[in-house]
Amino acid sequence: MKRNLTAALAPCFFFGLVGAVEESARADIDLKLSGSISSDIRYRLAGEEVPATYPSQYQLLENGFSRNENRVRTAMTLKAGEHVKAVADLELVYYGYSDVNDIDAATLRERVDPYFFEAHAAYVDIYKIAPHLDLRIGRQVVKWGASDLFNPTSNVNTLDYSDPLLFGKALANNMIKADWNPLGDWNLTAVWVPVFRPGQLPRSAPLAVTQIDRPAPVQEEAYRNTLSDLAVAMPPTHIDVIGMQPDVSIKNSQVAGRLAGRLAGQDVSLSYYNGRWGLPVPAWTINQPDGSASVGVIWPRMQVFGADMAGSIAPLGGVGYWLEGAVIVPQEVTYGLINANPKVGNPGPITFAPIDQADPSKPVRLVFNGSGTKPTVVPGSVFWKATAGADYSAGEHVYLNAQYVHGFIDEFGNGVVGHLQNATDAVTRVESRIGDYLIGGADFKVDSGLVTMRLFLVAKLPTFFKDAADTADYRFTGVLFPQIIWQAWDATELTLGAFVFLGDRSTKFGDPSAGASEIFGKVKFSF
Amino acid sequence: MKRALTVAALLGSAGLAGSARAESAAEILKLADEAYGAYKDLTLESTMIIKEPGATTGREIGMITQAKGDKKLVRFVSPGDIKGMGFLTESRDVMYALLPAFGNRVRRMGTHVKNQGFMGSDASFEDMSTSTWAEAWQPTLTGQDDKTWTLDLVLLPGHDGEFQHERIQVDKKIHQVTRIEYVDPAGKVVKVQTRGDWRLDAGTKHYTPEWIRITDHRRNDHITEIHSTKSVADAGLADDTFTQRNLVRGQ
Repeated sequence: MKRNLTAALAPCFFFGLVGAVEESARADIDLKLSGSISSDIRYRLAGEEVPATYPSQYQLLENGFSRNENRVRTAMTLKAGEHVKAVADLELVYYGYSDVNDIDAATLRERVDPYFFEAHAAYVDIYKIAPHLDLRIGRQVVKWGASDLFNPTSNVNTLDYSDPLLFGKALANNMIKADWNPLGDWNLTAVWVPVFRPGQLPRSAPLAVTQIDRPAPVQEEAYRNTLSDLAVAMPPTHIDVIGMQPDVSIKNSQVAGRLAGRLAGQDVSLSYYNGRWGLPVPAWTINQPDGSASVGVIWPRMQVFGADMAGSIAPLGGVGYWLEGAVIVPQEVTYGLINANPKVGNPGPITFAPIDQADPSKPVRLVFNGSGTKPTVVPGSVFWKATAGADYSAGEHVYLNAQYVHGFIDEFGNGVVGHLQNATDAVTRVESRIGDYLIGGADFKVDSGLVTMRLFLVAKLPTFFKDAADTADYRFTGVLFPQIIWQAWDATELTLGAFVFLGDRSTKFGDPSAGASEIFGKVKFSF
Repeated sequence: MKRALTVAALLGSAGLAGSARAESAAEILKLADEAYGAYKDLTLESTMIIKEPGATTGREIGMITQAKGDKKLVRFVSPGDIKGMGFLTESRDVMYALLPAFGNRVRRMGTHVKNQGFMGSDASFEDMSTSTWAEAWQPTLTGQDDKTWTLDLVLLPGHDGEFQHERIQVDKKIHQVTRIEYVDPAGKVVKVQTRGDWRLDAGTKHYTPEWIRITDHRRNDHITEIHSTKSVADAGLADDTFTQRNLVRGQ
């Protein structure tokens, strides 16, 4: 499609590129535009309150509007001949909440009506720069794996966890990707990511670190109990969290590679990633002189060796299947404690006395000169994650999809995790950090597919691969995700639905830091 | 099951093979296959209109289809909610979907989708992944007039498909399949496809129908029409056009 560029770009008011396009380039450039306009309104029910940061009106109430967004997305693809393509995919997002907490703010549009931009893509493709070799340079998403949504081998981009409905959307990052395609669908990909970008957390995530009654994130039960006793005896006035981001040196850049192709009619791949886990892990706590505590979080290094396979099983009516697994070698993370509060003890590093092997749960003595032992947050031992799934179309109206997942999208490392106490039984539950889940979904299509009734269920299973230190009884938790999606007319989609967290607060999905149940309505027009 | 409704089929393409005086049912079917496969490659621009029962207008889907041998590549250009999506058929059992909403992920599709309506239409994925008739169907000549032969087809053992029995009409002049009736086990015609207004592609011997109409009686006479707006045959499409990499790259 060749168009007058200036006219075609007029709707792209926020690209700011109109003036940069030279008249002389028109004849050589093929332009395609696409995008969407959407609204998303959600109401949370029976949640735990989370204070506002920005915009100040955007606080999560027990019951209240948890999202009130308007989004305008425009993607522009420019092709220059057969060898170069440039893509810009930008989204303008209005929060729908104000940030007017003083009179000056009330005079500023950006505070009265806050917004942000998100760049989903901004890259240049160069095809056949050498025989069979393509390059993609710039902000992009590299998605690997054969599974639906739960891809343990896909780690080049970290995830945006801020919208639970998406189960982790990949965050675009700046990188260089080379694809070498010597034969058919056999493809060798190499990726270099200069600067690590942390994943984005949901608004409710700070509760996981700042709640004082939450078990300390350490593996050794004795140390966990010692820290709990300390927190009860001398509770911090409040908890700050400090992100200790990796510096931008070359040693912190990430590399990855993948070989993918087809064998005996099945799609197969092997992959490798050397970089960091996208979610922060507590590594330090400083008891401040004013009685508060500062928690330092890091993004641990990891190496991931992955493999996946997908295809179709003819004797079973063409059932589609996929298998994907990753062996992960994590950086060991220990828990450093520094005391700067004279009321707690002598200033300096705090370590722990040896664990009583006869009673491994018994709290131990704190060692204020730093000569004792540091607790473990993430063991350095190898762990694995995997997804196995299948899908099937049953007749004209029904589509079924089921997956078994070992290791959810936010789970990392061997060992155990302690949960909040349930209000009714006041017992701290400790479960294996890597859990097992069954994820099932069904689409029921009516009216020639224009109306889809979709139901997805995530259910945590009793842990098959129980850690030695895992002492918890199984307690059900899960997510129920019903939707009605109506394609009201060409390019227009209306959605009504709910996202329901199941389980008490001592469970993964019942934990208030995971978020709260929501009902929602969306509309989207695409062009 | 292989049949002569492909993407070309979607737009059906047939070579002009002269005036065959055919002859046996098997020879007629062979002529139809030769007419279908007479091109080296084909690129088609078309609009698919999906109409609810009784409606005079419907949902319009714009698409570009490329075909070479058994391989097909379909890209959707409108409306906006499916724009950028694509399907690659490498063989009758190997199909991929390009999903822009999931980071341009290419997803392998199980063959269970073959009998499903293609994008809510009355054409199935199986219809999209065709090549020839003769190897999968046993024909019987059941009638003819001045313009067409009528063949009854029964699916041969070892082939699977939504229908075990079909009835087709083959044009005596250009050997194209102009009508397909899909017959259920009770002998009832449950779906009908007709094709018309054939046009010779410039510089070639290929014919493309300007329209295809599919009526599914099981869906209360739900109708899908496919209108061809442009067709180019033998343009020299490279083999690597039909790869996953090109599926992603070419949008």
